[in-house]
Amino acid sequence: MATTSPGQASHPADVDPVPEAHAPPGPVAALGGSAIDLFLGGKELLSVFIRTLYYSVRGKREKGAFTTQMYEIGNKSVFFLSITMGFIGMILVYQSGLQAKRVVPDYTMLGATYLELLVRDFAASIGALMLATRVGAGIAAEIGSMVVTEQVDALRMCAADPIDFLIVPRFKASVIMTTVLIVWAGTVAYLTGAATAYVAFDVAPQTFFNMALIDVGDVSVGLAKCLAYGAAIPVVSGYCGLSTFGGSEGVGWATTRAVVNTSLTIIILNFFISTAGFLIFPG
Amino acid sequence: MTSPPVIRVAGVSKAFRAAGGGPPARVLKDVNLSVPKGCLYGLIGPGASGKSILLKMLTGLMKPDVGSIEIEGADVTRMGELDLQKLRLKFGMLFQNNALFDHLTVGANIAFPLQRLFSLPKDEVERRVAERLACVALSGFEGRLPGGLSGGQKKRVGVARATITNAPIVLYDEPAAGLDPVTSQKIFELLRKEQRAIDATCIMVSSDLDRLLTVTDRVGMMYRGELIFDGSTHEAQTSTEPRVRQFVHGLTEGPL
Repeated sequence: MATTSPGQASHPADVDPVPEAHAPPGPVAALGGSAIDLFLGGKELLSVFIRTLYYSVRGKREKGAFTTQMYEIGNKSVFFLSITMGFIGMILVYQSGLQAKRVVPDYTMLGATYLELLVRDFAASIGALMLATRVGAGIAAEIGSMVVTEQVDALRMCAADPIDFLIVPRFKASVIMTTVLIVWAGTVAYLTGAATAYVAFDVAPQTFFNMALIDVGDVSVGLAKCLAYGAAIPVVSGYCGLSTFGGSEGVGWATTRAVVNTSLTIIILNFFISTAGFLIFPG
Repeated sequence: MTSPPVIRVAGVSKAFRAAGGGPPARVLKDVNLSVPKGCLYGLIGPGASGKSILLKMLTGLMKPDVGSIEIEGADVTRMGELDLQKLRLKFGMLFQNNALFDHLTVGANIAFPLQRLFSLPKDEVERRVAERLACVALSGFEGRLPGGLSGGQKKRVGVARATITNAPIVLYDEPAAGLDPVTSQKIFELLRKEQRAIDATCIMVSSDLDRLLTVTDRVGMMYRGELIFDGSTHEAQTSTEPRVRQFVHGLTEGPL
């Protein structure tokens, strides 16, 4: 049975099915079918990633595409990310302060530990999860719509590889802008955390702004996560968009899958990068 | 002596896996078709009979499960993506939904194949875009976005884009859908004139049979994934095959 792959033509929704004699699959066959689908999906995703890297170096430059995507992914996410990370910063510091009060009623290291947590993990991971919902969904919906309206087929008829034309500009822009946005969002979360610590626990800003626990390892791990998440969001969501089939319902599914799969990818990447970080920078 | 076919489809079948693990949907069944050079071939049939799928297979946008598709002797089904990109230089294609790029202007849409496939100077590209737009009665529309056009105008932009490279093989999927009768007739005549001018080989899918059959050399009819008729336009018009007769003459009584 043929299956379509990303960048290939979509499943035709307008074709009258001609059923053959076909018994419904049993549970083992269904499980096996799902496992094969998962394997094929992973293989195609890897293929999309490798082709994205290839075209990032050797692809055809589309005038203005990169800067447009920088604006779409970066500038348009600033407000959303600032608000969410600002509130998350307040919640984190408030809850941490309450816990600290029960165990060691001393807030002198509250700012330092919070900053380490932000730099090493939370700013990048929570920020990227937020971006996955806004940017990932947008990419999947846009590319998915292009698939169902045959625009992707039209690209291929003009010798334009959809990966090169659609995913590469988003990939480059996302790697840069995700890093910039996360640094910004982390700063916002830190500042709102400082304000919360001052109001709720009377921790002076001079005490809260403490960088004693930050070292090269924290910054390296944090940056590695920014780059990995920035790369993962457009590749995973672009893949979901390209594998859209059907009509508007298919675009809806592609968008949902993009958010779910990108979030999963971020969490799995977080685990592996954190583990590598603790092995490389054990201190 | 007849020239070898430019397009040869042999024993092509295709099925799609149904959503939810149901029975597979067979969309093409053992289709055999030959189109000689310079022929304008009309592909007709009720909706969902596999016409658009077949057009996409000719360009390698879809692969059949079995069978072979040869374009000027080269088997499309065995080609990799790079070979397919070279093959597509020979094609112009109008998609059923026009497939205009939403983010590009009308001018940029029409120029897109020229810019991607050929390295032409900017002024030459602009000249050819203006000439194409004049042919489809849309002069001055270069700067408009597709979102601001009517369905008929979009179709005409699609026609302009499909024909701008003067490709030797052109596939039209519903070139007259959404057009008024006068514009529709003009488009068919324009396409016929251009096809003759460069001796292009064309396959045209259209539901507007009254006009389509005035320009075609040969006609094929598809029904439920099968090519049930293949003959000259005159043979199609005089066919006694009940399904062909009913469809060509638009009869309400019959097997369809």
